[in-house]
Amino acid sequence: MIGDNGDSARHAAQEVGEAFGAVFRIVDDWGAAIRRELEAPGRSVSTAKQLDSIVGDLAIPQLLADGLITGAGFVAAPGFLSDAAWHLAWWLRRLEVPAERGPDAALRRLATVDDPEADQFRDYTTLEWWRVPATTGRRHVTGPYVDYLCTDDYTVTITAPVGRVGAPVGVVGADVHVSRMERALMPVLRSVPGAVTIVSHAGRVIISNETRRAPGSLLRIPGVSEALAGLLAEDAEDSGNPGDGRGGVTELDLPDAKVLRCGDAPLGLVFHG
Amino acid sequence: MPRDLAQADAARAVVFTPLDGVGRGERVAQRLRDAILSGILRDGERLPSESETARRFGVAVVTAREALESLREQQLVQTRRGREGGSFVTFDRERAARLMDERLCGMSRGELRDFALYYAAIAGAAAEAAADRAGPEDLERLAELEDGPIEESLGAARRAVGRFQLEVAALSQSPRLVRAELTLQVEAGSLLWLWLREPDGRERSRLARAKILESLARGPEAARAAATAHIEAAADWLIEEKERLEAALGG
Repeated sequence: MIGDNGDSARHAAQEVGEAFGAVFRIVDDWGAAIRRELEAPGRSVSTAKQLDSIVGDLAIPQLLADGLITGAGFVAAPGFLSDAAWHLAWWLRRLEVPAERGPDAALRRLATVDDPEADQFRDYTTLEWWRVPATTGRRHVTGPYVDYLCTDDYTVTITAPVGRVGAPVGVVGADVHVSRMERALMPVLRSVPGAVTIVSHAGRVIISNETRRAPGSLLRIPGVSEALAGLLAEDAEDSGNPGDGRGGVTELDLPDAKVLRCGDAPLGLVFHG
Repeated sequence: MPRDLAQADAARAVVFTPLDGVGRGERVAQRLRDAILSGILRDGERLPSESETARRFGVAVVTAREALESLREQQLVQTRRGREGGSFVTFDRERAARLMDERLCGMSRGELRDFALYYAAIAGAAAEAAADRAGPEDLERLAELEDGPIEESLGAARRAVGRFQLEVAALSQSPRLVRAELTLQVEAGSLLWLWLREPDGRERSRLARAKILESLARGPEAARAAATAHIEAAADWLIEEKERLEAALGG
């Protein structure tokens, strides 16, 4: 019975993958643009102000465009800038303010606490969204998680390193609110006959077309965790080719469910009858 | 009055409650006072300017000035003039302890119990959802927070408890529970966790946290019970302390 709707599930997984793929491309493009600026001959970027202007030019128009992205920017490696040991050039979309009112009203700059002695100071190099891309040299998706350091919202954060593996000059990234993903992708899920749920690599529900599945809860269907581990680990092998995530296995059939990978995104689409 | 009508009227009355209420200056002062007494704002830390304080709280500059004035009177901040001037936190342990004692004695047992019940409702629900939603690696990370020796000062213990409670709330995956937990910490954490000023309180809180950790792996009901027990024990101590203080004053 589950196999009957395989095509519509495959189509939904592809659409979810494409929506995320678009965000990945934006983040990758920002990374490349920042790298170009930093490496341009005769150009030296050493102050927070210089960095903010480069990053702001990239991130601010994207945030005001009101796509999936609700937060964006670049976080510098400690010591990279001459005048700020710890620095975040990160902006958040204030969703209650219409974009027409311009960046000053519709965006909020994330405050940096750069005094390591201060209570609010958090060594961001220990946080998942920094640690993983910085050490692996690869793009990473964190969450969904309650982002209590920034927005208090349920968020997915996509980050990619800029610079050398193990010692990057910083990470570039974007936040996507789960509520915005729901609005954008629920129509796709509704088009699938039967129950279908998008889950994180950890098997946590992000969006489901089943009303009783709460975002943040774990999808407890036997075999799903193992299937996700297998399908999403594929990602590690063909990392060099964004857009070509189809090299390996992209779906697995279980007795009670079918698990599909969503394109390049480390997300699973579980079709459970 | 028929009961359902009374309920409808009470709810209606809440709808039209003034959003800002009265005494905004006092509310700003209270928020800052709690943050200073609980160690969230540290001794010597420079506070934002009057106009920045006003902007952040969304109040008039004159209201912010009033709040800072009230803190100055209680010697919790000191204002210096000049280029390097501004308002600075002045935290004196003994004075802070005295202010906390006054605050504790100023509250009735009923109010303290009611507050503990409310906090337990939030923290209990968070622990219950966290037990259902956290994965094993989440619990390992939480356990790492509790790895070190028992804290040796009120400030360190307060921060450790605050961090622990917040991380448990974050594991619930609920933005609202996280926000409620943070608000409660800022507004009343310094009072509720007052037992951390005693070595015995620090040890008991640590044991209670170990119990919560263990219960999170056991299941939602156990987790709720353990989270509630932590708060109830702190409230029991508070009310006993209030008795001691009042007996000492009376005698």
